[in-house]
Amino acid sequence: MLRLHGVLGHESDTLYHARLHALEHHDGIELLFVPSEEAGRKRFRLATDRGTDCAVSLARGEELVDGALLYIDEEKAIVARFGRQRVWRLRPAHAAAALKLGWNAGNLHWRVRFEEDCLAILLDGPLAGYRARIAHLLDAGDIVELADV
Amino acid sequence: MNPLQRAAGSRIAAARVGIGGPVGSGKTALVERLIPALMARGVDLAIITNDLVTAEDAERIRRSGLIDPARVSAVEAGACPHTVIREDPTLNIEAADDLERRFPGVELILIESGGDNLASTFSRDLTDFWMFVIDVGGGDDIPRKRGPGVIRCDTLVINKTDLAPYVGVDLERMRQQALAVRDNRPVLLTNCRKGEGIDAVVSAIERDVLFRA
Repeated sequence: MLRLHGVLGHESDTLYHARLHALEHHDGIELLFVPSEEAGRKRFRLATDRGTDCAVSLARGEELVDGALLYIDEEKAIVARFGRQRVWRLRPAHAAAALKLGWNAGNLHWRVRFEEDCLAILLDGPLAGYRARIAHLLDAGDIVELADV
Repeated sequence: MNPLQRAAGSRIAAARVGIGGPVGSGKTALVERLIPALMARGVDLAIITNDLVTAEDAERIRRSGLIDPARVSAVEAGACPHTVIREDPTLNIEAADDLERRFPGVELILIESGGDNLASTFSRDLTDFWMFVIDVGGGDDIPRKRGPGVIRCDTLVINKTDLAPYVGVDLERMRQQALAVRDNRPVLLTNCRKGEGIDAVVSAIERDVLFRA
């Protein structure tokens, strides 16, 4: 187990550029793939793409971002990679539908973003589970799905 | 710089573990079993309990003699218990910060939610890891109902296993169904009254949260 605490920087930081570049030539960059729904965790245990068992902790105010540099030495570096956040975008057909959609999203504790006239839902589970909750609005044409996630 | 060298200069915050679940499933009983088991393994510990409008659970643990009463804090939700562990966990975050200020060496804070329903979940802002406690007395159909608490928790605990024969529950089938709805993520069986299964819960905390193994 490799115990890691805190984010050292970002892979794009000029401070680390030369060292990361050199390690890249020696196949020394390991990627730690973090599922997007787990991004808010301050402590987790995951293996890198090379199998290194990493026990990661962050300070309470610290945030893990895609490309965060978690470890670097002469042999290797470990960089966090996030899976793409799946987003389900919905457009209400009229004001009453918007109210119903907002009520449902709030009641179901969905993570959402407002994008002009659309509601963008950040998925933490299978889409079918979300769709089932507002099937009556979708079937009635009150809500239009903009694109598959 | 090696992160461990970097960490040496700044204290690593205590891990925060949530324990949620329906009313009467055995959350406080689990906490009462975990305290001595964790302390026996040398874990520096503190507790936060959540109740609706009293400090009933905190008082129960303070009076238990299992832990220094000063290490037990109470949060009164005043409303649905999930509001203070998910929607706005500020009260619990402040209680945890306060325990860390008062006990600088604390490694682990257990945060017991008030009894709630199957939809109860913890905010990632509050906890690093959370368990959901159900019990066989609630019926073996509980996992099949796919409540967010059952599905999303890091570890599902099925408590009161000793009652299974008396309430017509096929315990192994209940465990298999729980594993199925959770995509094989951890499901542990406990009988908190007798302390059965507690070692497995402690081992999970040591491995996944405290990084001791």
